[in-house]
Amino acid sequence: MNVCIFVLDVEEFAPLVLCARQMPTTEVTGPCQGYLRIASSSHLEFSRKQLGFKPAVWYGALTGGLVGHIVEFSRDTLRIEAT
Amino acid sequence: MSQLEKLPPTPIHGVHHTARPTWKLRETVEFYRDKLGLPLVHAISARGWPEGHPDFLHFFFDSGNGSTIAFFYYIGTTRPEQLKPFPSHFYTATHTAWQVQHLSDLDIWRQRLEANGVDLRYQTRHEIIESIYFSDPNGYPLEITYQLRPMTSMDADDADRTLRAGMALEDARKAGDITAFSCIDDVWRSKGSELAALWEART
Repeated sequence: MNVCIFVLDVEEFAPLVLCARQMPTTEVTGPCQGYLRIASSSHLEFSRKQLGFKPAVWYGALTGGLVGHIVEFSRDTLRIEAT
Repeated sequence: MSQLEKLPPTPIHGVHHTARPTWKLRETVEFYRDKLGLPLVHAISARGWPEGHPDFLHFFFDSGNGSTIAFFYYIGTTRPEQLKPFPSHFYTATHTAWQVQHLSDLDIWRQRLEANGVDLRYQTRHEIIESIYFSDPNGYPLEITYQLRPMTSMDADDADRTLRAGMALEDARKAGDITAFSCIDDVWRSKGSELAALWEART
C-alpha cells in the first residue's frame, strides 16, 4: 500500500473509517495500538460534507498520521497521493 | 534513592485561581458578578509592596468547582501599550475556558450572554469539546465548553506521539534544518512513519 492514514479509534474520527470501508480501492485494518489504518495503492480522497465534519475536526483529520503526499486539502476535499 | 525520589507524590488538585490586571474596575465587576453571575468571593485592598508596587485591589470571582478568576486593579496606573488586546491568534491563545455539565447549558449561556449585550464570537465543535467564545470588557478571551467524551489512555498515547514528533522537528529546526517543521504535514508524516513500522512489524 503506497498511501495510508492512521485514524485514532475514537468516535469523532469514526466517519473517516466508515467512509473508507465503502470505498472499493481502500483497505481498513486494525485496530492496533488504538489506531485504524486506511490504505490504498493509488490515492485516498475524502469529502468533508460526506464525512459530516465541522471545520475544526476536518482540518485535524490527519492527526493520527500520514504516509503519502497531500495534493489537496481544501474546505471540502482532501486528496492524498503516493509520495 | 535520590532526595527527589524520596519525596511523596503531590498531585495538583485543580485550579485555585488565575489572575490578570484590569484598568476597568466597575466594568469588570459588573461583567463577572452581574452579567455572568459569578459570585464575588474575596477581595484584598493593600498598600503597594514591595517598594515601587502601586496600591492595589485584588479580587476573586467564584468560577465553580473550587476555582476562581482573579483580577488586580493597580490604583493610579494606566494600561501599558503592550498589554492592550490586539487582533491576533497570538493574543487569543491565552484564554480561560470554563466547563459546563450539559451540552444544552451552552444554549442557555448563549441566551444569557446575548440578553446581557455580550457579543459571542462563535460556537464550534472541536474533537472532544464544543464551545462558545466571547470576551470580557478588558478584551480577555473567554470560552465556555462542554466536554463531549472523557479523555482516555488512547488520547494520552496519541498526544505523546504527536508531541514527540513535534519536539524532534523543533530540535531539527533549531539545529539548522530550516526545512524541518515548516507545516503540520511534517508531524503527520513523522507519526505515519512510526505507525507504518508498527504495522509492518505485526504482519
